Amino acid sequence: MRKTDNAALWEFREAATSTFARKATLASLMVAGVFSIGRLADWWFREEHVASLPLYLLLTFIFWWGIARMVIVWVSYLRISKPRWQAPQDGLRVAIFTTSSPGEPLSMFEKTLEACARISYPHTTYLLDDTQDPRFREAAERHGAVWLELVGLPGAKAGKINAALQRTTEDFVLVLDPDHIPFPNFLDEVLGYFRDPQVGYVQVAQAYYNQYRSFTARAAAEQTYGFYGPTQMGMHGLNCAVAIGANCTFRRAALDSIGGHGIGLAEDLITAIRIHAAQWKSIYSPIVVSRGLVPEDLGSFCKQQLKWARGVQEVLFAEVPRLWPKLSFWQRVSYLTVGTYYLSGLTTALFLLIPYLYFWFGWLPANMDFFGFLDHWLPVGLVSLSIYVFVQRWLCHPEAERGLHWRGTFLKFACWPVFFMGFVLSIWDGEIPYIPTAKRAVKQFTPFVRPLLVHQVLFVATLAYVVVRRFYYTPEARLELTSANTWGMVLFAALAFFMTLGGLYAAYQSLKTKAEDPWASVDLTRITDRLQPARKHKSAA
Amino acid sequence: MKTIAYRASATLLVIFLGLCVFSLLVFAGSKSRGPLEDLAAGVTSKVAYLEKSMAGGYSRTGRAAALQRFDRYRTQTGLLNAPDTLLTGVYDNNTEESYESVTTLEDSLGFKLPIIHFYTAWGSRKDQGFPQLRAQTISDLGSVPMITWEPWLNDFDPAVYPVPGKPSQVNANGLTAIAAGKYDAYIDKWARDAKAFGKPFFLRFGHEMNDPYRYPWGPQNNKPADFIAAWRHVVTRFRLQGATNASWVWSPHPAYTTYREFYPGAAYVNWVGITTLNYGTVAPWSKWYTFDEIFGKAYDEFSHYGKPLMISEIGSLGVGGNKAQWFKDALASMPFKYPAVKAVVLFNNSNDVSTTYKALDWSITLDKPVLTAVREAVGGWHPATASPAL
Repeated sequence: MRKTDNAALWEFREAATSTFARKATLASLMVAGVFSIGRLADWWFREEHVASLPLYLLLTFIFWWGIARMVIVWVSYLRISKPRWQAPQDGLRVAIFTTSSPGEPLSMFEKTLEACARISYPHTTYLLDDTQDPRFREAAERHGAVWLELVGLPGAKAGKINAALQRTTEDFVLVLDPDHIPFPNFLDEVLGYFRDPQVGYVQVAQAYYNQYRSFTARAAAEQTYGFYGPTQMGMHGLNCAVAIGANCTFRRAALDSIGGHGIGLAEDLITAIRIHAAQWKSIYSPIVVSRGLVPEDLGSFCKQQLKWARGVQEVLFAEVPRLWPKLSFWQRVSYLTVGTYYLSGLTTALFLLIPYLYFWFGWLPANMDFFGFLDHWLPVGLVSLSIYVFVQRWLCHPEAERGLHWRGTFLKFACWPVFFMGFVLSIWDGEIPYIPTAKRAVKQFTPFVRPLLVHQVLFVATLAYVVVRRFYYTPEARLELTSANTWGMVLFAALAFFMTLGGLYAAYQSLKTKAEDPWASVDLTRITDRLQPARKHKSAA
Repeated sequence: MKTIAYRASATLLVIFLGLCVFSLLVFAGSKSRGPLEDLAAGVTSKVAYLEKSMAGGYSRTGRAAALQRFDRYRTQTGLLNAPDTLLTGVYDNNTEESYESVTTLEDSLGFKLPIIHFYTAWGSRKDQGFPQLRAQTISDLGSVPMITWEPWLNDFDPAVYPVPGKPSQVNANGLTAIAAGKYDAYIDKWARDAKAFGKPFFLRFGHEMNDPYRYPWGPQNNKPADFIAAWRHVVTRFRLQGATNASWVWSPHPAYTTYREFYPGAAYVNWVGITTLNYGTVAPWSKWYTFDEIFGKAYDEFSHYGKPLMISEIGSLGVGGNKAQWFKDALASMPFKYPAVKAVVLFNNSNDVSTTYKALDWSITLDKPVLTAVREAVGGWHPATASPAL
């Protein structure tokens, strides 16, 4: 399937505005949700449900952790808002920073630099280069960009950005990932917000153009749709919108006030929390004014996730406590929620363990009747699903992004070992291990797939053990009364087995995905921002 | 002022709409819960049955095969209600997940027990409906299920079974409410599920109804006539549902001679059950009674009803006398002395908290002298009862 040149992707997009009726509907759903959760809690926390207290507490933690996060997201949805577009002032001095590193394909830079040149608001593009490859300099100069050689700086991208800040003077800096192809109206869309002198940075959506190339790519993209739509819009409403490292335009004064761009595995988040703590305002604008690449193979995706999981928890341990007094209430909630996102690796691992504890040791965490649970959980589930679907009206590109995002769910499930590893590493303050990128010629399974394979083998072996034990070694007098618990737990474990198949499929497909240069088929002349002619900067007319 | 009114009304509207959605979901849940639970119970018992028939070939070697000679009672209500032998049985409290405690006891006794007894209460909870899986388990193990069915009324959902007055007083005049049909939905459902079970079972409803100190269905809340009316009503509901596989065990306490006033009538009773527990000197109000002292007095009167008699709970504590001797005296001459007794059900409860503050241990599983006494006593029955060797 080759849809990277699909014209619909190369149009300016923006999320819907929030109206009173929409908010009222959403709020009604949330009231129903809160009552349903109250009813569920009233049922859950009953003494008769405790089978083994430690396990019950563990199960309660896993389950209510998820519910609490969901409620926090709901509350932020109530504050969904979209900043009102303002025409940028004339004569602002704007820099675009994009970085290149050894091994990155030159042709991608050709495309990105050419697209930068087509951005209509006057600006200077800088290529922050440490490839030591003369062709990169030639490409930059051919597209009117300034080439800055920044070799051997610590802190990867952020180190180069800080060095470039020293060597430039523009008041506004757009940090653009080199795989992102900006639309001509990019700066016209964001610069107006800096009329408010309090605004420190303006983040826009990250959208992709290669999600159709593989299951992993599509699943990874699906995981981001909600975040760049209703979630960040809600965070914007609470002045908590986070910078995402790419597609973020900073006010130089804001970066200066925190001593430059943050350095670390989650440098974007470090920068955002520091700018918030320095009392700057943040803007999130739900618009698509660039499209980039999402990882296409499972190995790259997992590497990216591991880096984030480790980095985000570093922010939780290192930045949040330090900056706590300077953050607003909702900023605290927001950074705590973001900082603990990858804890789902731990909760999923524990969740997976439950049926095995029963099979191996006969431990049951709770005496909960399945239908009693269903009766109390279903209203919560249905309301939550309704809210999930309802807020999709605030996606940046609803026609393409709507749905139940089952691929994203499968992939997130399959990544629990990655998140878990990130969690463990951040407790130990360990380094991310070096995981070589599979050479394109040598096709092999990514090492991230091993825990999944172990899980599958464990399931099959345990199933065999259960069947043999039940059929040959269980006393007749025990068989029937334990049948429901045993096969119920088998079903529970089988669900995880089934979910893991998604990850294995992604790994298998990653073996066969042909390496291509998706940017090659992108025709920059077909990018349309015509939907918003009024907003175009007059210099481009 | 206008803004405040606007905002307040918007908030109220949102809360109202949210409550509507919530109520709708809960309503839909309560409407679909019953059928879904039935479906789940059906699937659960089918899976349990299938698994058992596939596993280990228990049909030939299992407990049911050893109890095959009792199959005619287990499968035909008519024979169960007019038995020509003396059946033995047990209640054991450690049977949550397994009847191994029963098979262990049987191994020690040297004979199998064709009746397995358990208790269940009335109520709205899922585990208070007809205990389908447990009845099936007992039946598949080759025994007749005996269910003591206790009409506690506090566990009913007040939304479905409204009662006048405070919820704490739901048991006052409870039997009148039952007789008036207030709980028919529950009774009918239970009866239909019992009918679907299909095999005969003992149903001991509202036991020890003449004991004024025990259960809420006793004389402290109800008159004898109320009990009779409730009993007849329940039996009639079962008959209307076609649940004729229930064998009704009317089971008063012999210590209170008022029991005559509670007899519901020959047309509504299949068996007469008598509790015979010796508390020994465990409490100030108790003393050591032999079996004959407890049961003998009542036997003549009970046998006049013309129904088979069942010692529905037989047991003795060990405080104040010789427990093994008590069992020997009770059982050895049973078929000769008390020929109307057709069933003896051991009360093998290691943790009885129903009478005293301290848990009482009635169990005999680990008591070698008692096991020997019971084994020898029951072993001596065959000539008198002409029943096949156990």
